[in-house]
Amino acid sequence: MSPTEASVAEPPTALGTTYLYGIVPAGAVDSIASEGVRGATVTVLAQGGVAALVSDVSDGELRMTRKDLRRHLDVIDEVFRETTILPCPFGTTLDSREAVVEDVLRAKRDALVAGLADLEGTVQLNVKVRHDERALLRTIVASDPTIARLRQESANDAAYAVRLELGRQVAGAVEAHREADAARLVDALADEAIDVAVERDDALVLKAAFLVARAQQDRFDAVIDRVAAAEQELLRFEVIGPLPPTAFVQRVVEV
Amino acid sequence: MAIAQRGTASNYLQRAPSPSGLADVLDVILDKGLVIDAYVRVSVIGIEVLTIDARIVIASVDTYLRFAEQVNRLDLTQTETAGIAELRDGGKKQETEGAIEGAKEKLTPGKDKESSRS
Repeated sequence: MSPTEASVAEPPTALGTTYLYGIVPAGAVDSIASEGVRGATVTVLAQGGVAALVSDVSDGELRMTRKDLRRHLDVIDEVFRETTILPCPFGTTLDSREAVVEDVLRAKRDALVAGLADLEGTVQLNVKVRHDERALLRTIVASDPTIARLRQESANDAAYAVRLELGRQVAGAVEAHREADAARLVDALADEAIDVAVERDDALVLKAAFLVARAQQDRFDAVIDRVAAAEQELLRFEVIGPLPPTAFVQRVVEV
Repeated sequence: MAIAQRGTASNYLQRAPSPSGLADVLDVILDKGLVIDAYVRVSVIGIEVLTIDARIVIASVDTYLRFAEQVNRLDLTQTETAGIAELRDGGKKQETEGAIEGAKEKLTPGKDKESSRS
């Protein structure tokens, strides 16, 4: 969402007083142990086969703090362990509990039911891959004669222009590695996934969320193990999950 | 859960059942999930601007010069002996922080400022 769109549609200060964490099948959970944003109690509102997880938030109270981000995540994570959830982004508020029941649960029922069915039994694995930068630079110097020559030339307090050209060429080579590595990794990992959402991040080789069937997670993990071991000379992997499928909700639900 | 037990002591693969750092938490719940049209949400403008900054920083003269410096410092004889190399120059590790790390550092202050407002 661009700043302009946001301010045209609704002033960002006009927050509602009912905070919405996500949607679950009715009857799947009856109480939430984790505390909600601002320490509030999270309750379940059910209507027509779907239910909303909500808590009260006073006007002007809600900001993006580390603690409240964590609380939001803890609530959806607790529920995700028990059932399917369509999580909302941090900071979703409505004007009242009635608005949640009428305008979301009742008005969007069919889309919510379909979305819950689509994501049932799935988990999200967030994968970040970065280069071991020194190992990568050694590889680049060893494989690119021009860079090797510029490196020699710039070794002893060389002119600014030479150093700049060396840096520019190295940056280009790093970028080429990154693109090739990212494509190869997505190819290798997507086989065991239902869907993949890649995000651009220039500090990383790959930043992606993989949607995986819970029953297939062992196989996905095994592929990660195998690929990471095979690529260990140049790449470092971080895998977080199983997480609620936050990156895929918008792909399956239109409300 | 099985995934937590599996753990990972390896230096090339780290696993965690849940995000611990702020950046990883943001990755999961910021601007991702069920967006219901016509309802008001918290403004997250600051973070989006920072993401764009990252792209500019990476293709800058500053980055080029840092890459050049790093490449000049490389000891090419260290190939294949990363373990020993780490031990040998462990004390100098900060000096050899990468250009990409440098670019990330530029982002961090803004992000912290954004998140520590309470």
